[in-house]
Amino acid sequence: MTGREVVELVKQNVGVPWRDQSYRDTFKFGDPDTPIKGIATTMMVTFGMLKRANEAGLNMVITHEPTFWNDRDETKDLVNDPLYQAKTGYMRENGMVIWRFHDHMHAMQPDYTVVGELRSVGVKGGENAEMHPGVLPIPETTLGEFASQAKRLSGARALRCVGDPKAKVGRVLLGPGYATPRMTSDTDIVVGGEQQEVDGLFDNVQYVADAASLGIPKGLVMLGHVVSEQAGMEDLGKWMQTFITGVPIRFVPADEPYWT
Amino acid sequence: MKIPDISRRRFVQVAGVAAGTQFPLRGADTPTAKAVVQRVQSALGGQWVADGVDGFKAGNPNTPVKGIATTAMATMDVLKQAVQSGANLIFTHEPTFFGRQDGPSPLRPSDLPGLSADDPVYLAKKEFIDKNGLVVFRLHDNWLSRRGSDMTAGLAQELGWAKNRVRPDDGLYEIPSVTAEEAVAHIRQKLKLRGGLRAVGDRTATVKRVLLLPGFTTPAVMRRRYREADLTITGEVREWENTFYAADVFTAGERRGLVTVGRVVSEDPGMCVCAEWLKTMVTEAPVRWIPAGDLYWRAV
Repeated sequence: MTGREVVELVKQNVGVPWRDQSYRDTFKFGDPDTPIKGIATTMMVTFGMLKRANEAGLNMVITHEPTFWNDRDETKDLVNDPLYQAKTGYMRENGMVIWRFHDHMHAMQPDYTVVGELRSVGVKGGENAEMHPGVLPIPETTLGEFASQAKRLSGARALRCVGDPKAKVGRVLLGPGYATPRMTSDTDIVVGGEQQEVDGLFDNVQYVADAASLGIPKGLVMLGHVVSEQAGMEDLGKWMQTFITGVPIRFVPADEPYWT
Repeated sequence: MKIPDISRRRFVQVAGVAAGTQFPLRGADTPTAKAVVQRVQSALGGQWVADGVDGFKAGNPNTPVKGIATTAMATMDVLKQAVQSGANLIFTHEPTFFGRQDGPSPLRPSDLPGLSADDPVYLAKKEFIDKNGLVVFRLHDNWLSRRGSDMTAGLAQELGWAKNRVRPDDGLYEIPSVTAEEAVAHIRQKLKLRGGLRAVGDRTATVKRVLLLPGFTTPAVMRRRYREADLTITGEVREWENTFYAADVFTAGERRGLVTVGRVVSEDPGMCVCAEWLKTMVTEAPVRWIPAGDLYWRAV
């Protein structure tokens, strides 16, 4: 089976019309007609993840996020960059094929990134969640307890929170990756991957901090981009195993980049 | 109190009249917030950028100024401290009302992420401002375009590295050799960080050259400058861009690191410099710096 044939099978099974104008869901490196020995699914094809995939004999990587540190995977400004040269050199030497699966993954029913993220923070009932699951109820707890549970279940090292840890909370609004939702009037906790801290369309950080200062119970839990979407890429691999046989499919996590 | 809505055009007219205004002597009548802003505009010189985000965001510009506070971001806690310290004019580098729009936006589908006019946090904050007679002015674009280097110098000052600047007006500093872990501990302590600091790359790297980039760092700047230093210290990057660039640089064998401290925290010290600068042109009222601080904490 070639890389191109793998992608064709994904397109046939994705359950939503394929939009060819997506600049994200395309081959990012390598010859699509390369015979595939094994497939690695991952949240982000970091250099470290790439090496682990190759060492495990997997020469195709299906990554949710970019390969070359920008959303469009533009490379024209990178050709002289030593890191770009090292990373592409490694992929070329080892005959690797990289394909990004992002936009259509979020359009799937369920959206595995959201399913995985809900599981990662201990919110029940999200097994069939779509990209915008809406406000979900949780048994009443405090922001601090919810955050501790999220840290324990997700394993996030650099999970950041805003708000009063003692605030009573029971309604969660969650989004994957950079799609961190804005705080709403019927939400107690917003959970996301990452978000511009300030000067954006809606600044959750300031809003939640000010709410706390005013005694209004609100909380923000930022998991980090990788952690927020990581679990869903394992689910994606399992889904692919239902229609791809004869080629091993394995989840190879990207490491959380932070050491503190 | 009715808050007059000064349109952008009107504000530019007001600002235009201000050119050449003499600074009143100590003991003269208390200036209004508008008069203080006019002094700032004159002192900054050059063409005032009027189509950006700068301007009055809350309060009556004709309010006599009792005291001035500068901050990276006018949070509720900063406003409370301002009131306690007797300051009623606040210069904030970042928004007051939860976004670039800095206030409610009409609810059209394209504006869905925006703030609604009946939002309880917005209303309570605005009420606090009005009740205490505060005036809030955002000083961002015009400050950065003429005094951007002060944001870097302020951060270096706060970190105790002010004397180590390699080139004037630049972010590169040479410091006594430490490990990346020691540098991070130093930064954490000096900037009074709680949960906002995140570090990527080689924690054992020897750090002699640091690059200070307060605010947000774009991928273009990252690629151009990351290799000039052993440790790059910035406010904020996009994780899926520069954070992973730094992580991949480390995997590729280069011994350097990236530290993000939070955008607001990285801008606080620059607004301390701004307070010192304001003291040179406002002698009738005290000027103080009120840092917004690190708003994040970590789950245990």
